[in-house]
Amino acid sequence: MTQVLATTVVVASLYALLAAGYVLVYRATRVLNLAQGDMMTLGGYFLFLVATSVPGQPVRAIAGAAALSALSGFLIYRLLMRPMAGHPIFAAVLVTVTLGILLRAAIVLVYTDRIRHPLGLLGLANPARPLIGGAVVSTFDLFTVGAAAALFAALFLFLRFSPLGIQMRAAGEKPLLASQRGINFHLVFALSWALAGFAGALAGSLYASNVRLDPSLGVLGLKAFAVALVGGLDSLGGVIPGALIVALVEVLSVRYGDPLLADVSPFLCLLAMLLVRPWGLFGTKEELERV
Amino acid sequence: MTSILELTLPLELENLEVVYHHVATAIQGVSLKVQPSSIVTLLGTNGAGKTTTLRAISGFLGADNAQIVGGRVLFNGRPVTGRRPHELVRRGLVLVPERDKVFETLTVQENLRALVPGWLAWRAGDRPRVRLDQVFEYFPLLADRRRQLAGYLSGGERQMLALATALLCRPAVLLVDELSLGLAPAVIERLMILVARLRDELGLAVLLVEQNAGAALAVADYGYVMEHGRIVYDGPRDRLLAHADVREFYLGVGHRAGRKSYTDVKQYRRRRRWF
Repeated sequence: MTQVLATTVVVASLYALLAAGYVLVYRATRVLNLAQGDMMTLGGYFLFLVATSVPGQPVRAIAGAAALSALSGFLIYRLLMRPMAGHPIFAAVLVTVTLGILLRAAIVLVYTDRIRHPLGLLGLANPARPLIGGAVVSTFDLFTVGAAAALFAALFLFLRFSPLGIQMRAAGEKPLLASQRGINFHLVFALSWALAGFAGALAGSLYASNVRLDPSLGVLGLKAFAVALVGGLDSLGGVIPGALIVALVEVLSVRYGDPLLADVSPFLCLLAMLLVRPWGLFGTKEELERV
Repeated sequence: MTSILELTLPLELENLEVVYHHVATAIQGVSLKVQPSSIVTLLGTNGAGKTTTLRAISGFLGADNAQIVGGRVLFNGRPVTGRRPHELVRRGLVLVPERDKVFETLTVQENLRALVPGWLAWRAGDRPRVRLDQVFEYFPLLADRRRQLAGYLSGGERQMLALATALLCRPAVLLVDELSLGLAPAVIERLMILVARLRDELGLAVLLVEQNAGAALAVADYGYVMEHGRIVYDGPRDRLLAHADVREFYLGVGHRAGRKSYTDVKQYRRRRRWF
């Protein structure tokens, strides 16, 4: 039982990291970034790239991968999304779909589809840690939970109290009014993409270190998309309960059902949520009508 | 000879011409001047081109597929035509828009922080550095509601919040679009008096675009009347208040029985008819 709980929290943390990227980009720019999963894979490969050039220096490698991912998020907005301003949002969403496919293909071209384990290159081990109550998790499982907690705390403080965070919320609500207040909303939007890239890279690096790295990790992004919708696409706070629910259902279906069922369980959760409360647990109804 | 300093106006439009969708001319040959520390009002009915003029000044035409095809906008004596909106704000040209003027999902206090105050000014020392406590002094009501979501404010309170936020952007010139829209006469009067205080105490230059001529002329120093995209009449406040057509069509007073109908007046006859 404690094992189920522990695994649920670990899986939920990974989903929460990814779903935060969806919500950030959606809240700021109204665009569903369907390339979030592949941006996560990219983050994992950035870690691999930095780890091969500076082997044995985990802190530098992780910082480098995070910086590269944030930069790539920024550039994606600047080069692909900003020209889409003024076009239907649906067109911008299609651009993100294409971007995801291209990213995956590019990764295969450069790194082939071999499974990699960057952990060895970093010079770290991933020993199992018994918890109180008899559950066992890996060290990087704990890191994942810590990273998710830190990211959400930081995002909360940033959006609630910092001038830039308030500007981001303002620009997300009314970009034109924001520019009438001296806010360069394109810069703010690019920053939201950079943050989404950073969160995705955290998830990607941790998953790559903890489990494995291969070009198809992006599938996790789809599961996290279900998490974001269950929690409410416009609610950052809703991500946490959404992630816990989806992760719990997934863990339970692995344990008591068919492991194959586990892969579809996030989407069953999503389907159930869409039938009962289409705007998600903590989303706003009006927001849904606008989409 | 007047010196260069006296020639530098906070805001000046020279023969401005705006075209929508490359075909429809919205305003034509609009020239106007805003003197330092004065309120200038731009009057006109719906569709006269007032809002287009304001959008042209504040750099917002691109969003509507419109463009400036002639003339220029001078801000503190320098052409700013075609600059991006947020750059204009940072230089001190701040707009209070007609609608959508507050961030509804933010609290009043957050609204007052959701801005980048002007620092890109050439003579920043000349611009009033308005502080938050000063703003609460002008708008005591906002101080009481600072923790409330702006979406729950009434129309008058929203207008106050919009004015307050604009002040914190450190304007040199304040552009106000339809201050009176949808508000009760008593509220309009209070807001107009506030704008006059801002002019007198902060030395602001204000361009007040209004349909409500009576309320605007109560505080304005100078006025322009716009019809069909052109300035048809302008003058100091007292001359406008005394002008027969302005009195009849914009103030709704001074009508004499048996006088000319509105179709006889030159500006209204200009429209071409088929029959």
